[in-house]
Amino acid sequence: MNDAQTIAVEVVGVEQVTPLIKHFKLAPVGGGSLPVFSGGSHIIVVMRAADRVHKNPYSLLGSPSQLETYEIGVRRMEESRGGSHYMHDRVAVGSRLEIAHPVNLFGLDKIARKHVLIAGGIGITPFLAQLEDLHGGAVPYELHYSVRSAEHAAFLERLRRREGERLHMYHDSEGQMIPFETLLAAQPLGTHVYVCGPAGMINHVINTARSCGWPDSHIHWEQFSAPPVGDAFEVFLARSKISVHVPHDQSLLESIEAAGVEVPYLCRGGVCGFCHTRVLELDGELVHNDHFLSDADKAKGSSIMPCVSRAHCKRLVLDL
Amino acid sequence: MLVTGIKSKPVYAPLQADTRGRCHLMLGMGVGAAPLLRVIAEMGTAAPKGLQNTHVLFVPDAGTAGEVERFRAAVGSVQAFPSTPALLGEFRSTLGRALMGTRLYVAGPESFIGLVMKIALEFNLNKDEIRAEECGTLARRVYCIHCRATTENVRTNIVRCVECGRWLLVRDHYSRRLAAYMGVMVDAEAPGELPQLVEVFL
Repeated sequence: MNDAQTIAVEVVGVEQVTPLIKHFKLAPVGGGSLPVFSGGSHIIVVMRAADRVHKNPYSLLGSPSQLETYEIGVRRMEESRGGSHYMHDRVAVGSRLEIAHPVNLFGLDKIARKHVLIAGGIGITPFLAQLEDLHGGAVPYELHYSVRSAEHAAFLERLRRREGERLHMYHDSEGQMIPFETLLAAQPLGTHVYVCGPAGMINHVINTARSCGWPDSHIHWEQFSAPPVGDAFEVFLARSKISVHVPHDQSLLESIEAAGVEVPYLCRGGVCGFCHTRVLELDGELVHNDHFLSDADKAKGSSIMPCVSRAHCKRLVLDL
Repeated sequence: MLVTGIKSKPVYAPLQADTRGRCHLMLGMGVGAAPLLRVIAEMGTAAPKGLQNTHVLFVPDAGTAGEVERFRAAVGSVQAFPSTPALLGEFRSTLGRALMGTRLYVAGPESFIGLVMKIALEFNLNKDEIRAEECGTLARRVYCIHCRATTENVRTNIVRCVECGRWLLVRDHYSRRLAAYMGVMVDAEAPGELPQLVEVFL
């Protein structure tokens, strides 16, 4: 994916659905239909702020059969590097944005005998589109949705109306916890579990499922990491023969792009592995923040995901 | 002649206990008893509690009838069956009741493994939940791509289809869904010209 392939969209609806989450509707500039997508897909939204360009991944939460508009939910992040604040504070009906084509890294298993969906907070968004596919189908499913408190339960009315008793709600404020152990220990053979939410919740689901004997092929999760801040450092791009400064609050990928070098990417959140880049030289250590490389590969230090990972060094040379 | 070097031919590996499983379902036929007893012994050392949640479904033959007692002495439950179809019927209802965390161990001739796998596939078991070790006869189930009948216990490179009578070349092209190798009419272009009949799957 690169900027040449973006689609120009106009914001045609904005709604504050919880104190922290805004719901946006995006329509193609000039009308017509947007590209087809499947439940679980995300898009990259390109925001051209005055001082920098933000490119953030957001799950599509509308119905895959309705392509006049795309819908996304954006949570205002406390420690935002600017993207979610830009969406919340600067984007209104009539604003123009660019988006990249949808990509699905969190699709449903097509031959599962049952689906168990587990959402924490804003992690509900990919499931909203998946539920459109599941609803009315023959495969049983259930949704477990955990939120801070009732006022933080985004899209609850839509879910209640459609899902009835397949929806299980949990409010942190009332001490309600998803009973992960009993839930995962009692699922019929051929069940797949999907989790999207805070890192702690995802890790807990993965570990609990494994301890109940689930093979990894039945455990699915998605978490887009925002690129963490860190020390500033220098990177030399060996093939382009240019040196690039990476400021403390900008990602390696963003800095390389700002220098005019294109790196292929899909998720910009450390999940897909598309921006995998070879490390040729390093006089310090890599700070891996992705969910793609194995621990062994991270330790080896011969490659990096520039979308979320950084380096603690004076000089880094990349094969770009 | 389109016979070998085909990727769909299943590959098997010696059985190993997977102690991450919560329930262990073992299926065997005839000489398949030996690998199952080996993996049971392995589990007895690595995770003895797993043996209480181990269930054996077994079709003994003349040489392995005595093994049923050895299974009974080692694991939670053992069922012996007079035939593969009888075992498969019970296997299907067992999978219907089984929970995530179940591991499957299959040992026996390839045709037996294939029939077990075919049912496991219907329950969306992935390859990381199933282990299979081939032992015993290499005789194949052969699916006639012309009339769709399956000829059992094929030991030769070519075989006459039990249903339509065509001479079929037995390929390595394997269907997991049908649990059979593909049989293709061998003399379609030169009627009556057959390669020499050779016993190859012993």
